[in-house]
Amino acid sequence: MKLGKLFERLVQLLPVLLGVSAIVFIMMTLTPGDPVDIMLGDQHVTEEQEQALRKDMGLDLPPLERFVKFIGNAATGNFGLSFYHRQPVMEVIASRLPATIELSLAALVFALALSIPLGVIAAVKKNSLLDRLATVSSLFGVSLPGFWFGILLLMLFAVHLNVLPVSGRAGFSSEVPPITYLLLIDTLLHGRFDAFGDALAHIVLPAVTLGLPMASILMRVTRASMLEVLEQDYITFAEAKGLSRYKILVKHALKNALIPTVTVAAIETGSLLGGNMVVETVFGWPGLGRLVVESIFVRNYPLIQAAVLIYAVTYVMLNFFADILYTVLNPRVRL
Amino acid sequence: MRLKWVALCTAAMIALPMAAAEAAELRIGFTADALTLDPANHRNRETQTIIRNMHDGLLTRDSQMNVVPELAESWTALDPTTYEFKLRRGVAFHDGSPMTAADVKFTFDRLTGEGAMDGQTSPRKSLLGPLKEVKVIDDRTFHMILEEPWPILPAMLPFQEVVSKAHVEKVGTAGMAGSVSGTGPFKLVEWRRGDSVIMERYDGYYGGAADIPPMGKACVDRVIFKVIPENASRVAALLAGDVHIINGLPTHNVKQVESNPNTRVMAVNGTRSTFIALNNQTAPFDDLRVRRAVAYALDRKLIVDKILDGNATLIDGILSPDAFGKNEALPTYGYDLAKAKALLAEAGHADGIDVTLDVDGANKETAEAIASLLTKAGIRTKVAVNEASQLKARYRTKGKPIDGQMWLTSWGNGSLDPVGIFVPTHRTAGRGNSSGYSNTEVDALLDAANTETDRAKRASLYARAEAIVNKDLPKVYLWVAKDLYGVSNQVAGWQPSADSRINLHDACLK
Repeated sequence: MKLGKLFERLVQLLPVLLGVSAIVFIMMTLTPGDPVDIMLGDQHVTEEQEQALRKDMGLDLPPLERFVKFIGNAATGNFGLSFYHRQPVMEVIASRLPATIELSLAALVFALALSIPLGVIAAVKKNSLLDRLATVSSLFGVSLPGFWFGILLLMLFAVHLNVLPVSGRAGFSSEVPPITYLLLIDTLLHGRFDAFGDALAHIVLPAVTLGLPMASILMRVTRASMLEVLEQDYITFAEAKGLSRYKILVKHALKNALIPTVTVAAIETGSLLGGNMVVETVFGWPGLGRLVVESIFVRNYPLIQAAVLIYAVTYVMLNFFADILYTVLNPRVRL
Repeated sequence: MRLKWVALCTAAMIALPMAAAEAAELRIGFTADALTLDPANHRNRETQTIIRNMHDGLLTRDSQMNVVPELAESWTALDPTTYEFKLRRGVAFHDGSPMTAADVKFTFDRLTGEGAMDGQTSPRKSLLGPLKEVKVIDDRTFHMILEEPWPILPAMLPFQEVVSKAHVEKVGTAGMAGSVSGTGPFKLVEWRRGDSVIMERYDGYYGGAADIPPMGKACVDRVIFKVIPENASRVAALLAGDVHIINGLPTHNVKQVESNPNTRVMAVNGTRSTFIALNNQTAPFDDLRVRRAVAYALDRKLIVDKILDGNATLIDGILSPDAFGKNEALPTYGYDLAKAKALLAEAGHADGIDVTLDVDGANKETAEAIASLLTKAGIRTKVAVNEASQLKARYRTKGKPIDGQMWLTSWGNGSLDPVGIFVPTHRTAGRGNSSGYSNTEVDALLDAANTETDRAKRASLYARAEAIVNKDLPKVYLWVAKDLYGVSNQVAGWQPSADSRINLHDACLK
């Protein structure tokens, strides 16, 4: 069943990708701003020189022709050359993607590690000071703008306390030959604990900034679903059986209460993609989000196209993954 | 067992910073990453700033912006279209091979030839104007032959770096994006894309430009350009001691950096002229009196003092005070509110006018100050913030109708030659002519200056053109802002330079 469903989903993905490509292409074509002009900067250039560059970038063709060419090439995995890097788009993106994946995973781990215990405690100690504190804090967590909160953390931990680095992914000596391309894992695989410590110090602030809104949402979801579960008859029955409080909470209540948390987490991971753009800029994190922001400002069409497709695929797949996860956790639901 | 692990980790963590401290490592907090490490395959100032520490050029500029020989020993114009260059002796690329005139020819053929980079054409081609060919005379001598006289060749050559023919042929254009074998003071160690460019001292360095002492190898062992695009984070990195030099210091952080006991601010005259482009094609700014009213209504000194913290030089024409051919005798439109109001009334707007000033996000504060001063004079100004690329498309129309009334903008001029700024911003239908200005006399003067090889005559042509423009006032000329750097007190021997290059050859760490 699962394989068939997976295949069906993948087929459904095609029109989504085509649609996304078309929308992005139309939006880019309609947005004023000429990549050739931006690239030439403040220089005196003759008309012929300008036209030559336009031709070199493939922008001399009419928009429709460019779109058809793009789709044709994209189908074969060729996204063309980045206007500004003058290298294949996929190479440029591949050089930045691992940093984004690592940061997103770190943010996810942080969010889960913070939200689940807090959500459980808040539910168990409903209406206590702790519960209220957690609920109010989560409201702040969702509302704080990432760039502001990031800079605040930076000023506190990097400048005033001087305990964490301001920006980047690792210090000079902490680079190890890539295995998974995720620095935290690679440093461990190489047994370089010094480098692991350095990479961890670099990722803490961006991961916290990125993960905080997600942690807040997950905390609320966990709390709500835990409250609901705790009122179920089987919990009362377990209590009547004389099971320990810990066993009831963790084994009986939490297991069921986590179903919505996990599915929301899977979906919310998609929204980390948007947050990445801001957080990567603030912390000088060498990821895809910042690359995309920079590319939009200079109208680097080929790179934007390819990146948006990657975002779309990721988002759709995460949603699909959430569906599957839901059925696994809750056998009553069938896809 | 567990205890052993902890001990190991701790030892490693302690040992690491100690090892790093032994090498003099100079870190630069820089606004952008390099797009490529191939000197011929980009059109980007930040990329060049990074690359220029690993690659030297035939000519370079000292911190006063004078053009001086670097890899070349001397150059002479044999006639208006032929320049003879002599190369310096004993220059070797990072791979140890000697640099010869054949490498220079290869470099410029690669820059100017159609599809010369494995099918790609260099986006820097247009920076070499009418350069036709490089002719090798012997190992150390070559001629640059131009299609037509182009007096700014020496001013444009510092923008190009010489590559090794053998290296390019070995790695190809695709490989050049990430590998370097240059003649510069630093060798590439590693480029962590989006994060940092790491270089170390090249011990075989020939010493650098003879006119820029001290000559010799670079002072520090290692240089790291760390990419930190966000202003606040870059300043934080400097204050925390993570980096030693930052570029693009925002004016509102100047006091913070100055008051920190470990850091200081260094300023250098920039090359970017800031102005308000007025739409000369339609009312109300098609009327010279209204344009002049704008100029008189602005207390430019007040804005510079309050918003730019005094870090700018006022201009009355498009050229920076440091530029070649600058007219030193231009009349100033001094702040005169009564005159502004009178001119406005004379133009038939005694009740004032309502206008919109377009600006990009980065210059919003300045635009708001301008708007409030203009409003006082009866030019009721609303500020509209928009993205820079969109505004460029609306105003730089090459003679076609402009969509907007006034735009607070600027134009950079790294070569400090009027060709790079005066021609595009003021010639009829020029690509930077954001006011729709057209004056045949100015066009003729600019065209004549373009090919005039006599320096004095050429300068006077520009001076005459600037006098006309100062009268016509298609734009209201404001100032040339200083480029600001935050610098750690540990850094010695480094000077910022007006072309925004960060040359680290002479920089030392105390």
